[in-house]
Amino acid sequence: MTTTTIANPADALLFETSVEGRRCLRLPELDVPKVDLKQALKGAKLRQKPANLPEVGELDLVRHFKNLAQKNFSVDRNFYPLGSCTMKYNPKINVTLLAQPGFTRAHPHLPLADLQGHIELMVNLEGYLREVSGLPAVTLQPAAGAQGEMTGLMVIKAYFEEKGEGKTRTEIVIPDSAHGTNPATAALAGFKTVTLKGKPDGSVDLDLLKSLVGPQTAGMMITNPSTLGLLEPNMVEIAKILHGVGAQLYMDGANMNAIQGIVRPGDYGVDVMHYNLHKTYSVPHGAGGPGAGPIAVAAHLEPYLPVPRPVRNEDGTFSLDYKRKKSIGKVRSFFGNYGALVMAYIYMTQLGREGVRRNAENAVLNANYLRVKLRNEFKVFTDRVCAHEVVFTDAIQAKNDIHALDVAKRLIDYNIHPMTIYFPQANVTNGEGAMMVEPTETESKQTLDFFIEVMKKIAQETRENPALLKEAPHNMPVVRLDEVRASTQPQLYCPMCMS
Amino acid sequence: MPFIQNTDAERREMLAAIGVKSIDDLFADVPANLRINMADASRLKLPKGQGELEVTRHIEGLLAKTKNAGDYAFFRGGGIYNHFVSTVVDHIALFDSSFITAYTPYQPECSQGTLTFIFEFQSSICALTGLEVANASMYDGASALAEAMMMGKHVAEDKWRKEERNTFVLAGAHNPEYEQVVRTYADVAGLKVVNVPAGADGRIDQDALKKALTRKVFAVAAQSPNYLGVIEDLDAVNAARKESEALFVHCTTEPMSLALLQTPGEAGADIAVGEGQPLGNHQFLGGPAFGYFAARKEHLRKMPGRIVSETVDKNGKRAFALALATREQHIRREKATSNICTNQSLCALRALIHLAAWGKNGFVELAEHTVAKTQYAIKKLGAVDGVKLVYPNSPVFNEFVIQAAPGLEKKLLKKKILGGLPLDKYGKGRKGQYLVAITEVTTKAQIDAYAAALAEALKGKAVASAK
Ligand SMILES: Cc1ncc(COP(=O)(O)O)c(C=O)c1O
Repeated sequence: MTTTTIANPADALLFETSVEGRRCLRLPELDVPKVDLKQALKGAKLRQKPANLPEVGELDLVRHFKNLAQKNFSVDRNFYPLGSCTMKYNPKINVTLLAQPGFTRAHPHLPLADLQGHIELMVNLEGYLREVSGLPAVTLQPAAGAQGEMTGLMVIKAYFEEKGEGKTRTEIVIPDSAHGTNPATAALAGFKTVTLKGKPDGSVDLDLLKSLVGPQTAGMMITNPSTLGLLEPNMVEIAKILHGVGAQLYMDGANMNAIQGIVRPGDYGVDVMHYNLHKTYSVPHGAGGPGAGPIAVAAHLEPYLPVPRPVRNEDGTFSLDYKRKKSIGKVRSFFGNYGALVMAYIYMTQLGREGVRRNAENAVLNANYLRVKLRNEFKVFTDRVCAHEVVFTDAIQAKNDIHALDVAKRLIDYNIHPMTIYFPQANVTNGEGAMMVEPTETESKQTLDFFIEVMKKIAQETRENPALLKEAPHNMPVVRLDEVRASTQPQLYCPMCMS
Repeated sequence: MPFIQNTDAERREMLAAIGVKSIDDLFADVPANLRINMADASRLKLPKGQGELEVTRHIEGLLAKTKNAGDYAFFRGGGIYNHFVSTVVDHIALFDSSFITAYTPYQPECSQGTLTFIFEFQSSICALTGLEVANASMYDGASALAEAMMMGKHVAEDKWRKEERNTFVLAGAHNPEYEQVVRTYADVAGLKVVNVPAGADGRIDQDALKKALTRKVFAVAAQSPNYLGVIEDLDAVNAARKESEALFVHCTTEPMSLALLQTPGEAGADIAVGEGQPLGNHQFLGGPAFGYFAARKEHLRKMPGRIVSETVDKNGKRAFALALATREQHIRREKATSNICTNQSLCALRALIHLAAWGKNGFVELAEHTVAKTQYAIKKLGAVDGVKLVYPNSPVFNEFVIQAAPGLEKKLLKKKILGGLPLDKYGKGRKGQYLVAITEVTTKAQIDAYAAALAEALKGKAVASAK
């Protein structure tokens, strides 16, 4: 591309296109008397000068964001097999129904009589999630998976405190393949984390687990299916080992997409689990969020769930129960990410019983199809039947000095969003670079075949023209960023905003 | 099949390629006795799936059993506010799927759209708060305050290695939702939370604050405007904490107030957090919106959450990337500054669009209109026989407390007015008190109607005294 010297205003930051006096929105004429600010605010200190927000017109504002939109890959435009994130299609009806004033203008302090339909929706959604989990109680309050984890550990802690074991049960066992949020949550919740090294096939080493647990153990957090994309074959035994020492089993259910309708975690003996509604139940990922991370718990943990609890009364009306003495309190203001809950509810209502099961079947089918079709070109970390995702490594490509990062960047040239390459961490994959691919059930065989073809081509390019990969991507506005500089010389705001 | 595109024939083809006979064979790791048999109706008791038409009807049926802020002359806030949201915001953030169907920008080359807007969002939060670093968003204002507490503890552990600093002070009237969330997090982290009450003027009791700020305190938080609507004297808080060196956390549930009021940066705060809903986000019963989180530069490495930095690409071109990931859970695991992963990016995008659509002057005017309308409401309601202003001499922004009589809600509802939030559950001696909230959406006619309805409802009733 020849460089142009004419700057397109659409490439500038909003702050840089700002022109003094330009306006987009206008207020109606003030219908009450104007006031003198100093007097009205009774001498409260005012800011020295206005916040230097950009001043733009509506067209340039819209064009700025439409231009940014083009610099983004998204599920609606690109195959997005980002492992561990379940980037499935988000039905349009989710946002259309959500955009009604009944939701957008639902204020949390409306009288109970005005909230009946909303509480009913929450009660119904709790019911769906109870059925899928096989556990008798659900709270919808946690705002994301990580907050679900926190809520779950708070509930476990409160339970042990009441039993007089709060001071002694200080450890949480976590497999080394666990998602980073698990150890981070356990540490923030005041527990000591005990790392459990996985077996070479990715499953839990039961003997090792037995040697690590005891009266000091509060619980174990296990991701099932794991971040290696594998179903844990010994869930029942694991639950028995933990219960045998009086500890609790927490299941990270972020990957429920693979087992919903196939097996209920409660039937394994799981005591607490969280869902990621933004993964399993089609809440759009929103460029990083919002999501929702409800938890389901066994009966002995129900008294500790956050308040308020939505309840269906005998007369068919709905209310909010705040009077729960043992509750841990609140983890999120009001009702959590209610708008996200609405979308998950719309989706689950459409799926129904058959659909829930079918999603798991097809998610697992699609992942295994990729596994067998690509296993000659890329090393499968554990080449057995996988769940919703398959972890390849760059062991074969590394011989040509091509690594997971290069494969990921080359995929961008084919308009495919890269797979997850930042975890599982290298200590789990024997130093090989992981490439975690999660196609999800909503992708068609044609798309999978396209991906397979592209990946095979990349494997061939690795041998024949590695420079092509090293220099990828080739048609993006920016290439191979200096990410070290971003951390060593951070520039975190546009200088104009502070002037 | 809803949302699944593969046909039965394709599925058979794929199973053959995999080398298994049936889909069931893919779940061999699940013990047979636990596998759900779909023929057994007692397992997985979910209703039959519905099509788009049916689910639309179902949702409309549920909404028929609700009312919303638009159905009333609406005077409730208390943490979530009935603002106008420009159509531009929904068109970009909700209906254009380029942002809403993307995820965390791990691969910067194909995520410059997201990374750029986060950088611009951070810049606007810096502009509002007067602090140098802001993250990409937290779940909500309440959990942002809890995270500020956790961060304060981490800073203290580094700064005062020999001191046992374990106490977090909530100075003045904090939103009860926030206090509950803070206490839940404090409980599990083994921290102590101490409240300093509001004085008779609704502001932080300064004597009590000075007493509370011992060297056991690692941070003190002040909400302003506070839960009673009163604007706090932030300079006094900053002065009071000097001796103990406790960190100063500024919090607000109405960031629009920052258009006019002394910024947290100017007031000497270390951290500023608050609720982002009033910035272009819908009410949705309180979420999703977002919590903003900003701090002084020196605290950067202790900040929770994602942060985007400007950098260059290999050709020297300006570009944006995630920065300082070594604070975060996916790299640092149990040593991370926070466990947050998924945040509220899309809501932060909404705030950015909202702030830019109003712009530098428009945002100030918006706040000025709110002040004018609030002053008018204070005058009108305060003049009603049987109504008394509870903090007549204290500065307020968009909310204020009136003393009337208990149980007025029903009478007002008949006139399609949802009056202020009853405060009787908030504390002793608040029977008959209401927290009245005003926004740019509130009209003079609505305020007049509220005053008239109050006058009628209170006819003949004496003013109940506050104490
Ligand atoms: C396996 C697993 N556990 C936990 C989480 C954390 O969930 P969230 O990002 O919603 O906090 C994720 C997602 O990122 C995940 O993939």
